[in-house]
Amino acid sequence: MSTTQSSKPSNPGHAFMRALRQDHVGLSRVMREIDTQAHRLTEDPEGARAILVDAFRYLLRYHHAYHHPREDRLFAHIRARDDELEQTLQKLSHEHESGEQETERLADDLTHASSEDLAGEYGAALVNRINDYLRHTRTHMRHEETVFYSRAERVLTDEDWLAITADDGPDDPITDIRTMRASYPALARSLDDPTSHLGLNRPERSSSNELRLQVLALTDLYGGLMYEAIDLTRTNFRRLKSARGPVSLVRAAGTIYADNLRFAGQCVTRPSRWAVNTGAGLIVGWLKPYMNDQQDRTGEQFGGE
Amino acid sequence: MVSWQTRTAKLLSRLTIRQSLKRELSIADMRERIRSMERFFPSVPDDIRIENEPGLSHCDAEWLTPSSGPTERVILHLPGGAFMTRFVRAERLLLARMCRATNARGRLVFYRLAPENPYPAGLDDCMEAYQQILDLGIPPEHLIISGVSAGGCLALSVLLKARDLDLPMPAGAILMSPAADMTDESTDGSRVANAARDAVLSLERGDEIRRLYLGEHVELANHPYISPVLADYTGLPPLFFQVSGSEILLDDSHRCAERARACGVPAEVEVWDRMPHGWQALSFAPESGRAIARLADFIRERCP
Repeated sequence: MSTTQSSKPSNPGHAFMRALRQDHVGLSRVMREIDTQAHRLTEDPEGARAILVDAFRYLLRYHHAYHHPREDRLFAHIRARDDELEQTLQKLSHEHESGEQETERLADDLTHASSEDLAGEYGAALVNRINDYLRHTRTHMRHEETVFYSRAERVLTDEDWLAITADDGPDDPITDIRTMRASYPALARSLDDPTSHLGLNRPERSSSNELRLQVLALTDLYGGLMYEAIDLTRTNFRRLKSARGPVSLVRAAGTIYADNLRFAGQCVTRPSRWAVNTGAGLIVGWLKPYMNDQQDRTGEQFGGE
Repeated sequence: MVSWQTRTAKLLSRLTIRQSLKRELSIADMRERIRSMERFFPSVPDDIRIENEPGLSHCDAEWLTPSSGPTERVILHLPGGAFMTRFVRAERLLLARMCRATNARGRLVFYRLAPENPYPAGLDDCMEAYQQILDLGIPPEHLIISGVSAGGCLALSVLLKARDLDLPMPAGAILMSPAADMTDESTDGSRVANAARDAVLSLERGDEIRRLYLGEHVELANHPYISPVLADYTGLPPLFFQVSGSEILLDDSHRCAERARACGVPAEVEVWDRMPHGWQALSFAPESGRAIARLADFIRERCP
């Protein structure tokens, strides 16, 4: 098994490559946020839209404006030194272009849609497009890591690095929380929140929650009986198979009969016990507000005296 | 909206795993049942190479390498299974998918199980695996430790013990619904509120699980290596929790994350709506793919 060394050879491109990798940190964090918000878009259009628009603007103003041009310069120099990667690098450069166009379109479509549109079919179609966008971007990052990140430092010369690193732009603003708060306030607020809720957008009505709990309890009840029935059948077969001669067969049949009878009893008593308990619970639930009301009135009377 | 695949998996779990956890535990029976359920999980895809060497002293372990050309990243993964059993194929596939999504190599540790090997055997195996990775020269800044359920608890224990032994910390930790409280004294919170909603776990036999895991040392239940919810998290790397809102273990993640943040450790919690415990391993469900994509994002954030 080969091992990897942490210390890289001193190389003028090392800092540049480290910066490229560091850009993927910000990109990955924002991908996660876009994924969170895309899944809320149809249910909370205004809340999700603000964050998504900020996220796409951040991608356009930094990743498409500086990160991808840096990578494209790198691709061009690698292609000149290593023609084996010609097609792959061309494809990656093309993905940068198409990615930028789709980011612009998504930002525009989100900005110009009405809340009603976002909550309806148009919003659902937009969510699908965002999901495709996320899938492509993540796959693109994965390809970049495997295809050229490891190769660049091996094949490029000092002159290449000088040309690549000249005219470099700013650092990723995601590393500076003040810049993020000033330029992308909705996104910054959301990134600051250490807890994300995925799918918890529509609060359940307590009545439907109660009904769901009862259905689950019933599933547990009959699931349990089914589970025991399968176990009992297995045991019964084992008993019959192990019977040697008529006497032990009769004895096994007797045990099977008794166990089956006990289980049949359980099949009758458990559901009825459940029905009685649930019924009692429901009656108490219905009476509770009335009883609380009565208590409050009594309290008021005493308070008044 | 929960997918039909996840709904079906929830129903089947409710009718099988949950039922066996509600009844008297026969470890042999449970392991046998899990083996038969495992047939439904596909094998690891062909583009992932599996090797066993170098091994560990007391347990099996595997290296998973994606053929796409891995980066320096390594994921040390500790499977779940209430410290007593495990879904071997499901965990292997889960790690394979994580490795593929991040161009990482994976280390899967089949630590020794209770009751044959009670605490600290399992933790010792995980520590040996961690030390081995460091000894192989893999830089800790390229290492992520992950675990599901009981494996999540062990992942936290490895971090705490490694810190106590002054070993270097990995770049981050992924904790999928960790079972991080063996004291189990909660009379409210998710263990009570979600008792009926949890499609997989039931704590009706919680005492028995604790007794089997701890053997003769039940008094150790509130030791931080066993119940990391009670630990001091100072010096730990960033933690990333994924948990379902309908699990009995929901509060374990929240409590660990709160303690971590109080100690200055960044800790994020993702609460997923209506997912079954360990949904990340359900390779046929779209929510599992989404969860893994998000875990991969976190790994890229921590190991650029």
